[in-house]
Amino acid sequence: MTLSTGHSAALDFAQPEPPDLSSGKYVKLWQGPQHPGITGNMSLELVLDGDTIVSCKTHVGYLHRGFEKLMERRSFIQNFTVVCRIAVPEPTFNEYLYSHAVEEISGIEVPERAIWLRTMNLELMRLASFLMWIGGQSGAFGQYTVPNWTLAYRDYVLDLFEEMTGARIYHMYIVPGGVRAGLPDGFEERAREIMKGAEKLLDQIERVMFNNVVFKARSKGLGIITPDMVDPYGIVGPNARACGLARDIRKDEPYLAYDRLDFETISGNEADAYGRAYLRLQETRQSINLIRQCLDHAPTDGPFQADMPNVLHWKVPAGETYVKAECTRGEYGYYMVTDGSEFVRRVHVRGPSYTHAIAVMERLAVGTNIADIAGLMVSLHTYPPEIER
Amino acid sequence: MNLRDLLSPFFVWQRAFEKPYTSIRPTIDRPGAPAYRGFHINVSEECVGCGSCHSICQNHAIDMVPAAEFEGRTGDSGLRPRFDYGRCCWCGLCVDICTAASLRMSNEYAWISEDPDEFHFTAGVDDKPWQNNEHGYRRAEGYHLYPPKRIEMDMLSPDESVQSFEEVARGYSEAQAKLEADRCVECGICVATCPAHMDVPDYIHSIRDGDYEKGLQLMYRTNPFPATCGRICTRRCESVCPVGILGEPVAIRWLKRFIVDQVDAKDYPRILNDQIIESGHRVAIIGAGPGGLSAAYYLRKKGHAVTVFEAGETAGGMLRYGVPSYRLPDADLDKDIAYIVSLGVDIRYNTRIGKDIDFEQLLQDYAAVFLSTGLSVPSNMRIQGEDHARVLSGLQVLADVASGRDPGIGSRVAVIGGGNVAMDAARVSRRLGAEVTILYRRRIADMPADEEEIHESQEEGCNIVPQAIPVEIIAADKPQQVSIKWGEAEMVQDPTGGRPRPVLQEDRMHTDTYDCIISAIGQGSDLDFLSKENQQQLAIEWGKFTPGEYQQSALQKVFVGGDVANRTADAISAIEDGHHAARGIERLLNPDGFTATQTDNTGEPA
Amino acid sequence: MNTVDEILDYAIDQEQQAADFYEDLAGRVEKGGMKEILMEFSAEEQRHKQRLLAVKSGEHELTPEQEVLDLKISDYLIDVDATDDISYQDALIVAMKRERAAYKLYSDMAEKLPESHLRKVILGLAKEEARHKLFFESEYDERVLRDN
Repeated sequence: MTLSTGHSAALDFAQPEPPDLSSGKYVKLWQGPQHPGITGNMSLELVLDGDTIVSCKTHVGYLHRGFEKLMERRSFIQNFTVVCRIAVPEPTFNEYLYSHAVEEISGIEVPERAIWLRTMNLELMRLASFLMWIGGQSGAFGQYTVPNWTLAYRDYVLDLFEEMTGARIYHMYIVPGGVRAGLPDGFEERAREIMKGAEKLLDQIERVMFNNVVFKARSKGLGIITPDMVDPYGIVGPNARACGLARDIRKDEPYLAYDRLDFETISGNEADAYGRAYLRLQETRQSINLIRQCLDHAPTDGPFQADMPNVLHWKVPAGETYVKAECTRGEYGYYMVTDGSEFVRRVHVRGPSYTHAIAVMERLAVGTNIADIAGLMVSLHTYPPEIER
Repeated sequence: MNLRDLLSPFFVWQRAFEKPYTSIRPTIDRPGAPAYRGFHINVSEECVGCGSCHSICQNHAIDMVPAAEFEGRTGDSGLRPRFDYGRCCWCGLCVDICTAASLRMSNEYAWISEDPDEFHFTAGVDDKPWQNNEHGYRRAEGYHLYPPKRIEMDMLSPDESVQSFEEVARGYSEAQAKLEADRCVECGICVATCPAHMDVPDYIHSIRDGDYEKGLQLMYRTNPFPATCGRICTRRCESVCPVGILGEPVAIRWLKRFIVDQVDAKDYPRILNDQIIESGHRVAIIGAGPGGLSAAYYLRKKGHAVTVFEAGETAGGMLRYGVPSYRLPDADLDKDIAYIVSLGVDIRYNTRIGKDIDFEQLLQDYAAVFLSTGLSVPSNMRIQGEDHARVLSGLQVLADVASGRDPGIGSRVAVIGGGNVAMDAARVSRRLGAEVTILYRRRIADMPADEEEIHESQEEGCNIVPQAIPVEIIAADKPQQVSIKWGEAEMVQDPTGGRPRPVLQEDRMHTDTYDCIISAIGQGSDLDFLSKENQQQLAIEWGKFTPGEYQQSALQKVFVGGDVANRTADAISAIEDGHHAARGIERLLNPDGFTATQTDNTGEPA
Repeated sequence: MNTVDEILDYAIDQEQQAADFYEDLAGRVEKGGMKEILMEFSAEEQRHKQRLLAVKSGEHELTPEQEVLDLKISDYLIDVDATDDISYQDALIVAMKRERAAYKLYSDMAEKLPESHLRKVILGLAKEEARHKLFFESEYDERVLRDN
């Protein structure tokens, strides 16, 4: 990724001075921290002129659990049970990146079978996460049928996780050294059946949600991200791809088995809420395709874990690394520093929501109708827990 | 706006006829997936209470608590994991690390109770409905959180080893030792099992830290023979090491040896820093074997003047005369002994009690006596013809070789017996160029010899004939030869109990001729140096002492230990007997300053 | 010895003699600990005697049909003398050999007799002695041949 270092028009944006509230012309409104239109616990401090938002200030901190600090006092094996909680709907990206960072510093080679199982796990995660997001986006515009479909169907994907990993939400499956188990008997057939059903569901969703006059009316033109905003704001993932940039870490800097999978980066040309939603719908289909490819190629025998030292007193050599992966919302990164002791010196988790939910949100909210603020927030696909690790 | 966009939303009706995913009523049970991480199951009979689950739990949700029914089991801490479900996050790391694979999870996930204390339970001990659930998370085959296989010790090949008396085990390199030390789960079951209660996890830890001086200090707290035990210990610690339940036990003996091998003997005084303040008491020790010298070391550290009476011409006892140098080189035994002697222990060689000096005299001259004379008399088979000149004793053959004399065994040898002396005599004979047959009355599995010795003697070409009972020794045609008549045996289960007993099959007898027969069927004590009166006073039973608390005999001043006072008859037990007797003697001589708890914590006689 | 009572009286007397033999030896031995062992042997013989007394009074029955395991240990050992400095190994050999001799005596006796109640009693006594022999042979196997 090239970062623009020069001056950009996009950077000129500054929150307007808070209007004079005592004038009686404005209304100050807090949205959140508990609000169905917010994708987690954070709040928006809005100032309205009539129905129009004139300023937006984001407030986070309601979910701060200090994960990065917690990790500094836990052993390398214990941490993998902590990291999954950083992004509730997408725990496995944390598991994978944490494990990968540790492996990279200690020079552990993960066996082939684990590479494929990890890839499949991550794509299943993207599928589950997108399904939940589609429901969220539809619901934010007051259409509650699609959320019922997608959240119910997501449970079928969670069934697959339950079988594969032993848990539905916090899978704790990808562990430093590999994965914790191979696939259970009959998993492939059940997975293929669920993929078939998911494809059918997505067709129906496309018909009733995307070819929907109300949805179109409310999402088109909402929260437009222009290409020149992308680099200065650190916008990644579908939010960046929707405005035409073909950036996808899975393709650009392939990790795990992605260089052996047949897929193309999807990019769009409408950078509004509708365009981003449609791009995500396509990426959901892409995930189904990738899961099928993983089922085709994943070895069914052989080791799924590298030879490990005794984890009870595992000292990782001193070093530092930054590892990243493409989650549903873009680049998810782990920066890790170790000092040769039994504990990690520092971990920094870079979640894509950090920019999307704060800087980008504060800018796009200005001028938006109050009724669309929830839809706008969801269209950026943010998870507050990863803002405040 | 086009018409399609207006109409297509109505297609939501399509899905109205889909089967709903959710249950119709919440009371309908939906079992977790077969590998679901639900409530904990512990098969308490298989659990050894190693506490690895407790160590790995990042939530401190597991406490190891005493479980009465498992207390006192060998290789078992007597503790069982107690789960606090107010803390547990069901990550299952406890299941993954479980050394016995006794800890599992059921696929049960619903548990309703009004009593919050109920969610604090000892799995496998407190009765729970899911205890026998066959589904739920198990550690997958091939998934390990510690290396299950030990680092192989570099050994001389059998072809090389039979060529000389060079040490067979070559020792670990630093890298190998660190990898092996890494496998320890630090449960401490070894500490409880070791007769000397050596601080195994801590000295293994010192290897991981590369701090071998600290390792040496830790070892000398309870054992002044680490170079010796690092080579020939019977290592009961390894037989209970929980890492060995599913994999191979940590090579505790080799790690001990590694530490000693890293430290030069000339640095011992600086590292061990044994300060001696003379107490003014004099203590006599009979026998300079591991028991006697261990007592000498710990008594000397307490400032007592120690005199050791040794009938032979060198110190070491059975370690020197009974253990061949390919297992324990003289230099390493001397390293241990030299440090003990350097503290000012007076050893009187070639001095036999009862002949050169009277036992009664010792009782008069010394404040206390420690008696550890070992088992030195070979047992007799009591069969016809046993007194034939070509029937040698295993102990004699080993002693001859240790002293550099030719035992004169010839080139075809039969060894009778299945203990370590028999194996050593056989392997020594191989090194002297003989063809060796071992006759043993029971099965190979019943042999009391160390499994490693049995294996190595076979590797070195000794032919073991199990279930062979000697019945008669017959003079052969040539005077330099001897014949043995032996019969095959069947193992029969004794209806009155005990181990299966061999029964001679009189229709299957054989007679073979050898250059010599080495009899190594065991050895007994020689206590004839004690007067009849003393023998009566000391309450000897089956040729052995039965020591009381702190190794004290029936005579207040006399303490006993080693093979002549314990059932296990190995070096480490003798070493502990000596150490324990030193505590007892300290208690006798200095009753005010003695505290039992202090001795147990530091391993030092108070 | 033609009646059942006669033969039982003889056997009871033999057990008493054995008990006396060990008790007498216990009084003479010098080695530490041997006294206790021999007194234990004597007590064992007293138990045998009590058992036979119970047979005589009808409280207990002999079991001539029951098979008794023969370890054949004493069969191939040399004779040893019951000297004052007897070892525990030799004391056991003496005991095994005595029980073996008694067993032989009764079984040889039974062989010469026609099928009768008397014969059954003598066979029963032989089995009784075989059990005593097994007791001492097991002891020998357990204690003396422990490491072998």
